[in-house]
Amino acid sequence: MTAAMSETTAAGAAASEIRIEKLTKRFGNLVAVDAVDLTIGAGEVMCLLGPSGCGKTTTLRMVAGLEFATEGAIWLGGRRVDHLPARQRNVAMSFQFYALYASISVADNLAYPLHAEGLGRAEIERRVKRVAEILQLDRIMDRLPDQLSEGEKQRVAVGRSIVRDPTCFLFDEPLSRLDVQLREQMRGEIKEVLSGLAKPSVIVTHDQLEALSMADRIAVMQAGIIEQVATPHEIFARPENVFVAGFIGTPQMNLIPATVTGREGRRLRLDVAGQAIGVEAGARAEGIADGASVTLGVRPRAFALTDETEDSLVARVDIVEPMGAETLLHLIEGDQDLRVVVPRTVRPSPGEQVRIRHAPDQAHLFDETGRRVSA
Amino acid sequence: MARFRTTGDAGWGRTAAAAVVSLIYFFPVLWIILTAFKTRADALAVPAKFFFVPTLDNFVRVFSRAGVGSDQEFSTGFDLFFFNSIFIAGSSVILALIIGTLAAYGFSRHPLRGNDTYLFIILTTRMLPPIVVIIPIFLMFRVTGLSGTYIGIIMLYTAFNLPFAIWMIKSFFDELNREVEDAARLDGSTEPRVFRLICLPQVKAGLAATAVFALILTWNEFLFALLLTGTETRTVPVAMARTIGGEIGVDWGLLAAIVCLFLIPVFVVTYALQNQLLRGVTFGTVRR
Amino acid sequence: MAATDTTAERGGAPAARGFNPVAWALAPERRGGLLVAPAIITLFVMNIFPLMWSLGLSFFNYRANRLTVPDFVWFRNFERVLTDDDVWERFQTTAIVVGSSVALQLVIGFALALLFAKSFPGRRILLMLVLTPMMLSFVAVGVFFKLFYEPTFGLVSQAVAIFTGEPFVVLSTPTGALIGIIVADAWMWSPFVMLLVLAGLVSVPKYLYEAAEIDRANWWRRFRTITFPYIKGLLLLAVLFRTIETFKLFDIVYLITQGGPGSSTETIAVYVYRMAFQYFRTSQASALAYIVLFVVIVLTSLYLYAVRRTSEAR
Repeated sequence: MTAAMSETTAAGAAASEIRIEKLTKRFGNLVAVDAVDLTIGAGEVMCLLGPSGCGKTTTLRMVAGLEFATEGAIWLGGRRVDHLPARQRNVAMSFQFYALYASISVADNLAYPLHAEGLGRAEIERRVKRVAEILQLDRIMDRLPDQLSEGEKQRVAVGRSIVRDPTCFLFDEPLSRLDVQLREQMRGEIKEVLSGLAKPSVIVTHDQLEALSMADRIAVMQAGIIEQVATPHEIFARPENVFVAGFIGTPQMNLIPATVTGREGRRLRLDVAGQAIGVEAGARAEGIADGASVTLGVRPRAFALTDETEDSLVARVDIVEPMGAETLLHLIEGDQDLRVVVPRTVRPSPGEQVRIRHAPDQAHLFDETGRRVSA
Repeated sequence: MARFRTTGDAGWGRTAAAAVVSLIYFFPVLWIILTAFKTRADALAVPAKFFFVPTLDNFVRVFSRAGVGSDQEFSTGFDLFFFNSIFIAGSSVILALIIGTLAAYGFSRHPLRGNDTYLFIILTTRMLPPIVVIIPIFLMFRVTGLSGTYIGIIMLYTAFNLPFAIWMIKSFFDELNREVEDAARLDGSTEPRVFRLICLPQVKAGLAATAVFALILTWNEFLFALLLTGTETRTVPVAMARTIGGEIGVDWGLLAAIVCLFLIPVFVVTYALQNQLLRGVTFGTVRR
Repeated sequence: MAATDTTAERGGAPAARGFNPVAWALAPERRGGLLVAPAIITLFVMNIFPLMWSLGLSFFNYRANRLTVPDFVWFRNFERVLTDDDVWERFQTTAIVVGSSVALQLVIGFALALLFAKSFPGRRILLMLVLTPMMLSFVAVGVFFKLFYEPTFGLVSQAVAIFTGEPFVVLSTPTGALIGIIVADAWMWSPFVMLLVLAGLVSVPKYLYEAAEIDRANWWRRFRTITFPYIKGLLLLAVLFRTIETFKLFDIVYLITQGGPGSSTETIAVYVYRMAFQYFRTSQASALAYIVLFVVIVLTSLYLYAVRRTSEAR
């Protein structure tokens, strides 16, 4: 019995995953998506994150079947689908502009995808009711989309997806049209809803906060390729290259060009704009020779004001930005801008010279190609 | 110019289907064109002839031919009639565009008290059946001596085209983004400059759509032209009708040749402004 | 007075040197009036004024071919016209023509729009072919359709003769003549309906169709929930325009059948024309024309009402 169960589960697991292999999309000479590989397991929420034009939406649309791939393969639930049109793939998708049918009520919108499954009216009504309860749409079932608020529209769009039993759930910028408060609220709700379903989900977003809070794993994309796939924590704590490092985290990580001047065991001595500091480097930094160019990455909150002269940098305060509980300092040294976040209580004045020091284990080092070489 | 918007792409299959449908629909016109190249005998042949020896005779005879019962060639006056049609239709369309654009701009940017009333009345004049006004206008023209003059018929056609022009171009002005104009105004531009350099270029689609529709209407107009043009100002449609009436039997080849020649200018203009035409129709109506 | 323009453009009060009419006219407050004036004047002279004259005429018993001074007869013309059986017969004929032609135009125009909604190779040229009937003059259409219907030489007759072996005279029977006119009119103007419907079809946002594709909706449901709501307004507009225009139908009827055989295809417009220019019953013709105008206004109001209702229901 157990063997049979685990077999079904294993088969079931494979049966509900998304697998993309060497997926490529070309528009004429433009390569929008370049040989992307990705696997998303059952019940996993994957976020495709990146700036506009990076190919994340195109990738999503290819999984949905709204675009056909130029090259590569897509498997949904163990079935190869890249040659099938969208209606044969049994995917559910929630669009950025909601794409609600304006001429029918909320209830009819929710029921819309079920007509293709040949279910009886009673069954359809039951499912619609269940979804309406989950998303708190009970009171607006008879309204038309025009009469809904943005948040309500968004929930109906999501509802239309979960009322079905598809192979996966796809979301295109689901929260981009909501204001900040609604966004916070919906993030939690969506995460809760998705965790109850055993299907893979893919969310496309350009908002890193959304990705960091909703995703089980994030795929950071740029110019058609995936720069890194990892859990939110990994992405934040160990960005694989300069792009990911600079993209994730607000305020943006300080990316400081430096030159290697020497080595002491695991520490590298760096020359940063004429100043010398030492940085812990990892095993990957073995091959870096003296004189090589590297990029030092330190997040604004990893810097602190200090009086120590050892391993610290001097810079001049340019702008002081109060942010409530914290303060953001914009510093200048030479032609290098630095951002440092300090507690509210620390208040340097513009023009003042300060010393900053990075927390020892929170320095990131990238070689001249932008690849991570620190621990 | 932007391409036609469409709902998607289809392949050669649709081209084939569309070609079949289009040619069937176009067939009567095709027949007319063929007839223009036929001799009199061929034109009336039973069974109908699709293959024949073409001749350009009819086209020549549009402009000069032998009179009935004699061999002497005389000018039919059709060169005058063609000129009249071009002149009259062209002038009235241009006038309608100028007056209409100014008025549309006025209605849009400087609304008067009773703006809506004016616009409603203008809209209803569009709905007028010409028969309601034909009698007074006929009398009016006779009394004022406008009958048979260029000015009279041009003014009349301008009045016909104005409601449509105003309504369509105004809807374009309404859709424009005022911020650019405000910025220009702040920079010190005078209103005429703003109008000329900023507003006008953006309503090109509306102007084009209006021009095409107005042109088609006035080009082919028959009733008023019949009653209000004289020998010197006659337009082609009227001349065509007279050609049928006067002679013994109908010279179909000749008639077909006239129709073909008459069709060309409109066809060319519509083809050139195809994209704008559809954009204009879309904007002017879908927004409602 | 070079300073005039600057003063006017600044919109300030005229200089203290006195009243300057040019600056007054060009001031921003009055610009609306100035811009609109030429149009209003032209329309008034050419449309409104004749309209009022026409109304006035209908209250007299003016006959254009007599030189007697007309009497004021109040509503007698209207009365006579409304009780005239001939008039009602013409109205009926007109209604049949309008109804059939517009219905036909809707169907054909819609089908054509569906055909041309997507882009395909050669679309531009084929579209022009279909638009051509609209560009022909009424005279051309009238005359050549008459030829097509001609018993001996006409194409239609010949085509039918292949099957029946006899010459087919389209225009000899009232029904045949009516059909002949309806076909000619519908053929000419279906492209117009096509243009309007096409405009609606391409304005539907693509993502709605994509959502329907994801939802696996079939063709009919896609049409009902997405397409039709978008083109409803335009269809109504097309119906309105074409109904009004077909109501005024004069040229084609006059040229193909002259209202015959007998008077079976005489539409209202032709009748008014006859009354005014053949029988010279000018005032009566005016009265009848006004009644037609009234009908058109009623139809337009119905349309506006329908539009308002559909936009409120949303």
